[in-house]
Amino acid sequence: MTAASDISAPILRLFTEQGFTPVDPPIMQPADVFLEKSGEAIRARTYLFADPDGVAELCLRPDLTVPTCRWHLAHAPDPSAEAKYCYLGPVFRYDGPRDDPLHPHEFPQAGLEWFGAGNTPRADAEVLSLAVKAVRAAGLEDFTITIGDVGLVRALLQDIDMPPRWRARLLRRLRRPRAFHATLDELTGENGPRARTSISPLVDRLAESPTMERALTLVEEELGERGLELVGGRTLEEIAARLLEKAQNRAAEPLPKEKAELIESLLAVSGPLKPAIMRIGKLAQAAGPNLKAAWQAFAERVERIARLLPDEAVAMTFDAGFGRTFDYYTGFVFQLEAEIGGERQPVGGGGRYDDMLESLGGPSVPALGMALHLPRLAAAREKEAAA
Amino acid sequence: MAVNDANMMTVPPVLGVPSKGRLMETTAELLARAGLELARTGDARGYRGELRGLKNAPSLEVAFLSASEIARHLMEGRVAAGITGEDLLRETMPDVDEVAKTRLPLGFGHADVVVAVPECWLDVARMADLEEVAAEYHARHGRLMRVATKYLRLTRHFFTEHGVTAFRTVRSAGATEGAPAAGLAELIVDITSTGSTLRANRLKVLDDGVILRSQATLAVRNDMARIPPLVELAERLQSLSPGGMS
Repeated sequence: MTAASDISAPILRLFTEQGFTPVDPPIMQPADVFLEKSGEAIRARTYLFADPDGVAELCLRPDLTVPTCRWHLAHAPDPSAEAKYCYLGPVFRYDGPRDDPLHPHEFPQAGLEWFGAGNTPRADAEVLSLAVKAVRAAGLEDFTITIGDVGLVRALLQDIDMPPRWRARLLRRLRRPRAFHATLDELTGENGPRARTSISPLVDRLAESPTMERALTLVEEELGERGLELVGGRTLEEIAARLLEKAQNRAAEPLPKEKAELIESLLAVSGPLKPAIMRIGKLAQAAGPNLKAAWQAFAERVERIARLLPDEAVAMTFDAGFGRTFDYYTGFVFQLEAEIGGERQPVGGGGRYDDMLESLGGPSVPALGMALHLPRLAAAREKEAAA
Repeated sequence: MAVNDANMMTVPPVLGVPSKGRLMETTAELLARAGLELARTGDARGYRGELRGLKNAPSLEVAFLSASEIARHLMEGRVAAGITGEDLLRETMPDVDEVAKTRLPLGFGHADVVVAVPECWLDVARMADLEEVAAEYHARHGRLMRVATKYLRLTRHFFTEHGVTAFRTVRSAGATEGAPAAGLAELIVDITSTGSTLRANRLKVLDDGVILRSQATLAVRNDMARIPPLVELAERLQSLSPGGMS
């Protein structure tokens, strides 16, 4: 029987040979960081608890990416300089009451994170190539690769003219496909931004003269008349400013239907790499400079990948919607799958998360990484060896 | 679920009934109207009893429990059926249908689980507003907005469904409606029947903030749904007020 520990040694050796320094960040992590950074998939599966004083909210790390980022910010002499880390250690994910070898609540993950890497498409291709080599080093030959790019739809949203508030809302919802779709519907609908709600009468009054001065007076008057105190941690200015935005957006045209369709078409692109590149190129013609630039970076990356992994690139598939629900990725994403017990299971994956270090209070440094699910990798290898 | 599978053969044929308060009284009245007598056995303050008057069984054993215990006992297979709030069933179990698909609304104990925010948030009417406000709050203050509630699961699920993720829940055992004024949370998820407690605390329910319309419910475990006394109990309760059960 292949144990996860048997395959971890060659993987770690590969990573260190490639210049990645082993790190061992704490297992307990502050919960806030993960709750805010993670998509719903991880969020609902994280073990949360308070310290004995009941003050700090903590979690058992559900992956090693955020812990490695925090470790880097705390220990690196210069956090904005290039740094390459690798790790091997337990992560914790609740996956329903079952606790079987393919969905363990606690399992070892091996992976790497690369901060401040230069040329983006080349670094993307190199990390994918390292993942492939690591899986091979573990003894697995038969697996498939899916790649995606969260940056494409982000670029498209920049190209489409709309109030910044709408774009920010769509971007925040990108990781939650259902909420994203509902928001698109709402923004294109005749009634969308103009729908009547319980606060519409107040917005109507402000829309007569939509200035910040008027908004502040209106909020003050309203609170005074109704004898309301400010509770709930928000200031009068915050409330007035949002109310003002609402009054100003009254005048905004709904999002054109064809623009929403463009977004949905982009997210629906999936299949073999070459046709996918062509299809996105066509959509980029209908969009604008941002998507065109993102598409060019994507095409260049695919070219790099084909050079580093000529055999694998042929069978690789692209899925534009893929990776949306994953945590914190901002651009290139990939996943490696193998057949275990008659089902295709992800055995590893990774991608680019350029916003992370800055959002953790560090410098703005591009970052990417990957991690492998060792028990699944061991199970897949076991099956292959038996065949 | 593994827990249930393991216990499948050993679920005792016991009905969980609320042990006190109006929920217990109304339950006893309802059962009486169905021609059944709810009796405590042994010590008068005991937590055991039986349901008498069933045709196809001499009696059905009863366990008097708190409403939230009933939901948990049902999930864990320690009772075969129970009378409790739909809100507690949904909060306690990840998937109620998987455990107890047979659920008969009993027409009392009506209350809604709602999202309520401070009335002074004049710019907030819907969950979409809350999503924006929560994200802004986090960006501005570096902290996640706190939601005081005892409905941790329902809250997480409903908020996530509406795209709200920049929040954290704060467990609240009682007097949840006072949490925003006390500075313990920014908003709440709580149960309300008339809304008067919320209004008194200067909180407002969001336009689309009703998470669940709850009422007292007879829930029967799937693996026990065919045992004759429980079938008879469900039939008797169902026939009580035709059409008036929901």
